Amino acid sequence: MARIRRLVLDTLKPHEPNIIDLANVLSELEGVSAVNISIYEMDRKVENAKITIEGEAISFESVSHTIGDMGGTIHSIDEVVAGKQIIDDAETLQD
Amino acid sequence: MRSLLEAVSYFREYDKLANISEIARRYFAMNAFDGVLTIIGVLMGNYIAGVSDARIVLSTGLATCVAMGVSGLWGAYLTESAERKRDLDELNKYTLTDMNNTRIGRASRAAIVIVAIVDGLSPLMAALIVLVPFFAAGNSSDLSWAYFSALGLALTTLFGLGLFLGHISKGRMIVFGLKTVLAGVVSIAISYFLGVEG
Repeated sequence: MARIRRLVLDTLKPHEPNIIDLANVLSELEGVSAVNISIYEMDRKVENAKITIEGEAISFESVSHTIGDMGGTIHSIDEVVAGKQIIDDAETLQD
Repeated sequence: MRSLLEAVSYFREYDKLANISEIARRYFAMNAFDGVLTIIGVLMGNYIAGVSDARIVLSTGLATCVAMGVSGLWGAYLTESAERKRDLDELNKYTLTDMNNTRIGRASRAAIVIVAIVDGLSPLMAALIVLVPFFAAGNSSDLSWAYFSALGLALTTLFGLGLFLGHISKGRMIVFGLKTVLAGVVSIAISYFLGVEG
């Protein structure tokens, strides 16, 4: 099975646990080497967070379970990179 | 040792999520204060009625302690359960998920239990401290010293609670201590004059 090296997720989460706690827990998962979380929208009780995870072999199940356990939900998977190395999307004429 | 460290780590996490320490501290101070003032009332009632048998003072005092403990435990459990269920339901509505099996849900349940225990034990322990002289009195027929030392202990406990509140507020601890002692003195004075008049 191909190894996932980068995941970009759009999530909705409560204010607590905050993104520092969430980043800490996610970064301790096996196969994860770096985590970036940014908040792009705030509501009274919840906030929308873009989570970028990079690693050698990211387990989507573990990531999804951890986010759920911290009270968050994944709205969409916005980007996935899998394989032997990380590549960005190629630019086309339409871009 | 490892499980103890894990328990501490869980408590810290749940404390942060459910604000357990702050609420428990508030309940502790409020209910210990209630406990001492209630037992002052019981003692003054016994003193004015001329009760000179330590067993009677102890049985009325202990029954009051138990009632306060049960009241605190039950009351806090029901109140906290209702409040936290409301918060969790609101969060469920916002996220469209069930928060019960998340860390937030577990922290919420832990908070209910811890706060209820603190709320039940604080008036019970505070009142028991005040009753200590009557445990020591045994079959002694002259209980004046027990009454006076119990009231002294009550005022000391109140002063200690005041210091604790002053420490939390980072205000003047002595001022807080004197304010709580004043509540005890007022309670003793009113009970005494009501008894003398009655």
